Amino acid sequence: MTDMLGGLAQEVVSGIALGCIYALIALGFTLIYKATEVVNFAQGELMMVGAYVNFFIVTALLDIPMLDGALGFLLAFAGAVAFAFLFGTFLDLIINRPLKDEPVFSVIMATISMAIILRAVMALIAGPMTRLPLSPFGSGVIKVGGLFISVHDLFIISSAIVLVCGFYYFFNRTKWGIAMKATSEDPMAASLVGIPVKKVYRNVWIFSMVVATIGGVLLAPRTLLDTNMGFLGLKAFPAAVLGGFGSVPGAIVGGVIMGVIETVSMGTLSFYFPWVKEINDIVVWIVLIAVLMIRPAGILGREEIERV
Amino acid sequence: MLKLIGVEAFYGKIKALHGVSLEVPDGKLVCILGANGAGKTTILKSISGVVEPEMGTIHFDGVRIDRLDPEKIVSLGISHVPENRHVFPELTVHENLVMGGFLVREKSLLKVRLEEVFDRFAIMRERKDQLAGTLSGGEQQMLAISRALMLKPKLLLLDEPSLGLAPLLVQEIFATIKNLHQSGVTILLVEQNVNQALRIADYGYVLTSGKIFLSGTYEELRREEKVREMYLGEGKYVRRARLWGS
Ligand SMILES: Nc1ncnc2c1ncn2[C@@H]1O[C@H](COP(=O)(O)OP(=O)(O)OP(=O)(O)O)[C@@H](O)[C@H]1O
Ligand SMILES: [Mg+2]
Repeated sequence: MTDMLGGLAQEVVSGIALGCIYALIALGFTLIYKATEVVNFAQGELMMVGAYVNFFIVTALLDIPMLDGALGFLLAFAGAVAFAFLFGTFLDLIINRPLKDEPVFSVIMATISMAIILRAVMALIAGPMTRLPLSPFGSGVIKVGGLFISVHDLFIISSAIVLVCGFYYFFNRTKWGIAMKATSEDPMAASLVGIPVKKVYRNVWIFSMVVATIGGVLLAPRTLLDTNMGFLGLKAFPAAVLGGFGSVPGAIVGGVIMGVIETVSMGTLSFYFPWVKEINDIVVWIVLIAVLMIRPAGILGREEIERV
Repeated sequence: MLKLIGVEAFYGKIKALHGVSLEVPDGKLVCILGANGAGKTTILKSISGVVEPEMGTIHFDGVRIDRLDPEKIVSLGISHVPENRHVFPELTVHENLVMGGFLVREKSLLKVRLEEVFDRFAIMRERKDQLAGTLSGGEQQMLAISRALMLKPKLLLLDEPSLGLAPLLVQEIFATIKNLHQSGVTILLVEQNVNQALRIADYGYVLTSGKIFLSGTYEELRREEKVREMYLGEGKYVRRARLWGS
């Protein structure tokens, strides 16, 4: 009995780590959605691109002595984030700006096309091989209480906490953060008080790309580096809906819950139903539908209150 | 100070302004009157850059502004309080005001401006930490005006500030506007409360279907039979109907 509980606790911890990554991707979705009302279906691919860029840099640094360990990983991480800045700017330039006054639907189609293109281009660059990037922490585990936690999972969870705190501070305490919120609430009023709305939109895309990159870099050693890993990013979508679409805390809570449900159901149900391959996915969607039936606005979402 | 010449503006294919020319001299309170859909809001939006005019020119303090971004125009000293307030509903009153002062670089100056606003509108200080969306209509209007004042504009554009307010609050808003005017702010006011607006205005323009149809001081406009009929409620229904048709 204690054994089963221990196993469950083990899976919950692992699920939280996975959920943190969903939360980061869902956060990216949510930021773009809130600011521009665009649902960015390329979010998972952005994560994939970020993970690959990081991997390329790590590989390139391997030949340099001193840089083949954690230091190299950190450098590659910084490099990937720098790339994310440029790529976010680029996305704003080719998706957001030209399609600014077009129907939201056109922009969504553009993000879907972008997703497909990114997968294809990355497959061309990286070749057909699936790779397993190593965590800079190796496969180390530490024992906390009766639980074994992989150092990498711990790294994921702590990075996510630091990032979320950073975001919280940014959006609630800094002028530019509040200006981003103001712009997503009312772009016209924002431009009338002198907020450079175009710049804010650009920053939103950059932000979203940076968060996706960090998510991808953290995720790759847990799963595999594959040009199709972006599909996993699609799970951040139900995560965002579960938490309450358009709510930033909702994206985070939804992501973590999603990760836990998925990991736990994978660990327990796959034992009883070994012939159902994607049993964890099924459970995730069932939970989503159940929550939406009880709370259509999601866990932390609010019904829109219109005041005229 | 502000001068529009032959301004034409479109929404898609719909022409909303058919060559509007008007002037707001330094220190004056000028009022634009007109029926619903006449294009009053469009004039203000063209000035503040939300709508880009297709034809004509707009000069402010000798600078041509009709091709500039709204952020640039507001930095020159024109603040626009839009129709229906447009406060940021999910931000607190304090955050709304800080956003009003977005272009103020020095923190200390921002503090001074905040204090000035709080001194002028005590209610804003009381409601400092309340979400703007939960304020009453009148309070939201006060907030929208306060937010615009954070930049100490030379020219204030006010679009129907009394819209949807109870009579007592309307009095208060007009008292506020008069007050601002007396403290030296140049104001371009759009109003449906024609009587009240003209009483505090130095000069008025009457707009019909995107064209300036009449202009003058309160006394001059009062003497115009058409203005009396259309806006001051002194005409007969039959004749008014004929006028709307024209
Ligand atoms: N966003 C828009 N898209 C299309 N047409 C518009 C838009 N905004 C205004 N119009 C049209 O332009 C014309 C002028 O509108 P405007 O809002 O300037 O009128 P207004 O004088 O401010 O009216 P009101 O007193 O009702 O506020 C109207 O015919 C209106 O239907
Ligand atoms: Mg109007």
